[in-house]
Amino acid sequence: MKRSIIILIAALATASMLAACGGGGGSSTQASDKQAAKGPITIWYSNNPNEVKWGKQVVAAWNAAHPDEKVTGQEIPAGRSSEEVIGAAITAGNTPDLIYNTAPVAVPQFQKQGGLVDLSTFPDGATYIESRTGDAASQYASVDGHYYQLPWKSNPVMLFYNKAIMRKAGIDPENPPLATYDEFLATARAIVKSKAAKYAIYPSPSSEFYQSWFDFYALYAAESGGKLLVENGAATFADTAGTSVAELWRTIYAEKLAGNEPYTGDAFLDGLTGMVLAGPWAIESYGKTDWGVAPVPTSAGMKPAETYTFADSKNIGMYSSSKNQGTAWEFLKFSTSPEQDGALLETTGQMPLRVDLTKAYPEYFTKNPAYKMFAEQAGRTVDVPNVSSSVEVWQTFRDAWTGAVIFGEGDIPSALSDAAASIDTLVSQQ
Amino acid sequence: MSDMQPKPPRHRILSMTLLMLGALVFLFPFYYMVVGALQTKRDPSLSGAIPWPSNLTLNNFLDINGAINLGRSLLNSGIFTGAVVVFTIFFGVLAGYALATLHFRGRGLLFAVVLLLQAVPFQLLMVPLYVLLVRDFGLGDSYVGMILPFAINSVAVLIFRQFFLQVPQEMFDAARIDGAGEFRILWSIAVPLVRPAILTAALVTFIGPWNEFLWPFLITKKQGMQPLAVAVANFTQTGAGFHANPMGSILAGSTVLAVPAVVLFIVFQRHFAETHSSTGVKG
Amino acid sequence: MSAKTSQSRGPGPGRTAAATPAPGRRRRSRLEFALGRHPSGLLLAAPYALFVAAVFVYPIGLGVWMSFHDSFFTAPGVDVPQPFVGLENYATVLSNPAVRASFVHVAEFLVINVPLTLVFSLLLATALNSVIHWRGFMRVSYYVPYVTASVATITVWMFMFNSGGIVNQILGPLAPDPAWLINRFWAMPSIAFYVTWKQLGFFILLFLAALQNVPKELHEAAATDGASRWQAYKAVTLPAVRPATTLVVLLAIITGANLFTEPYLLTGGGGPNGASTTPVFLLYQQGIQQGKPAIASAIGVLLVIGVLIITYASRKLTERE
Repeated sequence: MKRSIIILIAALATASMLAACGGGGGSSTQASDKQAAKGPITIWYSNNPNEVKWGKQVVAAWNAAHPDEKVTGQEIPAGRSSEEVIGAAITAGNTPDLIYNTAPVAVPQFQKQGGLVDLSTFPDGATYIESRTGDAASQYASVDGHYYQLPWKSNPVMLFYNKAIMRKAGIDPENPPLATYDEFLATARAIVKSKAAKYAIYPSPSSEFYQSWFDFYALYAAESGGKLLVENGAATFADTAGTSVAELWRTIYAEKLAGNEPYTGDAFLDGLTGMVLAGPWAIESYGKTDWGVAPVPTSAGMKPAETYTFADSKNIGMYSSSKNQGTAWEFLKFSTSPEQDGALLETTGQMPLRVDLTKAYPEYFTKNPAYKMFAEQAGRTVDVPNVSSSVEVWQTFRDAWTGAVIFGEGDIPSALSDAAASIDTLVSQQ
Repeated sequence: MSDMQPKPPRHRILSMTLLMLGALVFLFPFYYMVVGALQTKRDPSLSGAIPWPSNLTLNNFLDINGAINLGRSLLNSGIFTGAVVVFTIFFGVLAGYALATLHFRGRGLLFAVVLLLQAVPFQLLMVPLYVLLVRDFGLGDSYVGMILPFAINSVAVLIFRQFFLQVPQEMFDAARIDGAGEFRILWSIAVPLVRPAILTAALVTFIGPWNEFLWPFLITKKQGMQPLAVAVANFTQTGAGFHANPMGSILAGSTVLAVPAVVLFIVFQRHFAETHSSTGVKG
Repeated sequence: MSAKTSQSRGPGPGRTAAATPAPGRRRRSRLEFALGRHPSGLLLAAPYALFVAAVFVYPIGLGVWMSFHDSFFTAPGVDVPQPFVGLENYATVLSNPAVRASFVHVAEFLVINVPLTLVFSLLLATALNSVIHWRGFMRVSYYVPYVTASVATITVWMFMFNSGGIVNQILGPLAPDPAWLINRFWAMPSIAFYVTWKQLGFFILLFLAALQNVPKELHEAAATDGASRWQAYKAVTLPAVRPATTLVVLLAIITGANLFTEPYLLTGGGGPNGASTTPVFLLYQQGIQQGKPAIASAIGVLLVIGVLIITYASRKLTERE
């Protein structure tokens, strides 16, 4: 028995040494050669049916004009596990040239792994990105000022409400009072008290790191006038704005205006809740419900034209396994041209991250007034900060949130400042 | 056949009732899943557990078949699982027999490894395994790549080993004294004996790959290669929102996933009763 | 006619060559010493051993190596310094209260799950073995949870145990508030009950197979000796299924220690303020979601060591012979 253990440990030790020494060799092509290289490329896009439609048509359009630089498109499952797929693919070296489903929260990690191409090294890289997206592009740059992702589309989070439920609760369905926290709470209480719905609002209370984007962050962006969670290497949310948002949600949970158990299904669609914080992607699935939309509330009330919110964007990354980066860059520009952005808008209803959307596509918005509010909101959004250990940062925040806000344990100022201190340490590490 | 003392009927009835009650409790979630799969509109209240005829439809099945090709996914699941079961039984019986009855250099080490392998969580191995199979072996998006980490189920090896340990050694020793070679013993004595264990091991081995999500999800990108468990999980996470009854469609997919496994069990559990009398030492 | 074989996981070479060799074997003694009494065993076990070596040794080895270095996964060709850091990762892991808590949660889980599993699976297997009417239906019912994918059963379980669900409606005022899965105190036990229910079919199968292996002659002998049912059970059945008991306990401990899917799905990522996290869940969160595989490997190694210790102790207990 003892002998077996010794042999086993020896075998493991040997194996681990071998493992460490092993590892694929990298190519030694110069970066500039790769940038100039042209040829066939592959791209991945999410499996959202509308995005697939868009993806297929943009690939077909390009291939018709560029028979020597064929693009092959493939769907990858988009969902909570898509980052793992990409991360594993980076390690194995089999990422495609472009992925049209790169989450900004994962970019720091992919960059650290050496998986992303620095788009700013292309001669027109930075200028193209900044001219298309405007000032908002700066929050997508990495710590070194370079762009490792191209900001592609956003889904600005706004407050949907169910008009039928509002009516039943005795609230004016065309203009429900939702601008200040006091109005919001009053409306919420009315909904629940009148039993028009079981809950007034029902964001997911579970502990995954990204859940805070749809309860805390959207409101914090508004309340703070457009601050990111972390700015200049320090957490910002332990201030008055963050505290007010946290206090509001704590009240909501304490008065049972929101559910504190995860719900399997869509609570808004099932009529379980009167309101929901979501982006324009939801319009299609909420189709049959008689819904209205309002900007997220702030403590003192703000003009809609000045309210910020969370962007919930998905971006495009060019991955370092790409051999034909020249083609990849050209295709990237092609697929984000005004025509293609328009096609994206029409096919999916999601907002391309382009300046002045309403001016750029006036016919679309005349035909689809429902989306106009989102387009206007898209000019005032805040995204996840591009800092190191960003996933861990959000997990730390979420852990503090579920304890202090959802379950009302401890006091909010210290929960927020403790989380802020941990986050400060995390982002300062390399 | 009555080798037991006659039981008082009350005792019998009590145990039967308890067993029945237990069986119904165990069955309830499965039943609820099927009901949910057949509902037109999701009914989260208590009455939703009863299949009201007015709320029944097969649409959810059609719905999910439109989004993910159920037939193709089932085929992939079948190939994946079938290969694993075959490899496991074939090589597992050999290994289990060797571990239990034969003394050879490295026996203890191998057994320790079998246990160790069980104890190591798959999540730890996931990424290195992916890199190994995709980068070094070039097996991305292939059935072989899907099957390889699961090819020989260690639990089955343990089951075979444990089974052979329960068999009296005298049988093998007697054959050895008679001059039979090891392979002869294996073929004519061990294998026929081990049939109930093969059944158990096959059923147990079946469940793993059939319901496995994480690994096939990682290793396949092409939708046409994904087994059903992965397709349903993907559908749950993304595509469901745009359908008439998303929860119903998800449950429909889950039902399609569960039914073949249940049917298999129903068919094969009968063999458990029949092999009851076939073991035992003769004379 | 004793049916027992010694089950020691004996060291490699069998009984030494010094034992009296059978006639005609004297000249094989050195080979025998090198390869054991039955070298054919090597051949039989070789495919499995090769499979393990080819597929698992590298990843496990890499994991162990990573746990001693400041390392993370990089794209091929990217050269990043990965310095040896000794036990630093282990220190970080052990000093993290969340990790310590997760080990406590697993212990909580095992204390509930293993005895329940052992007792119920043996009881049910015995009952199902001797039942005549409705045998097929009952057996299948107990297997069904095991056979159904977790994703589906979890939806139903969450529905049953949420604050307005059936269980709470039956319990009325006794129902805990907040409801089971989001209750600090009840989250882990709820998961333990769920997993016990779900996995029971598997363990029943194991015991059923073992029970059917018990030679009928033993039962007959006991009956002729005038033993009561319970005495016969204790003296004949229980010892005869001891290898199965050991296996069941072993597998229950290992499965429990590696718990991941249930905390991930059932309590939406660790429950209220992390009340139902497990080491593998943290391993996944930190290794895969947060990109810190070195830390994850340290957790993994600690977990494996812990499991091995527990299983060693349990074997000592169940093989009291």
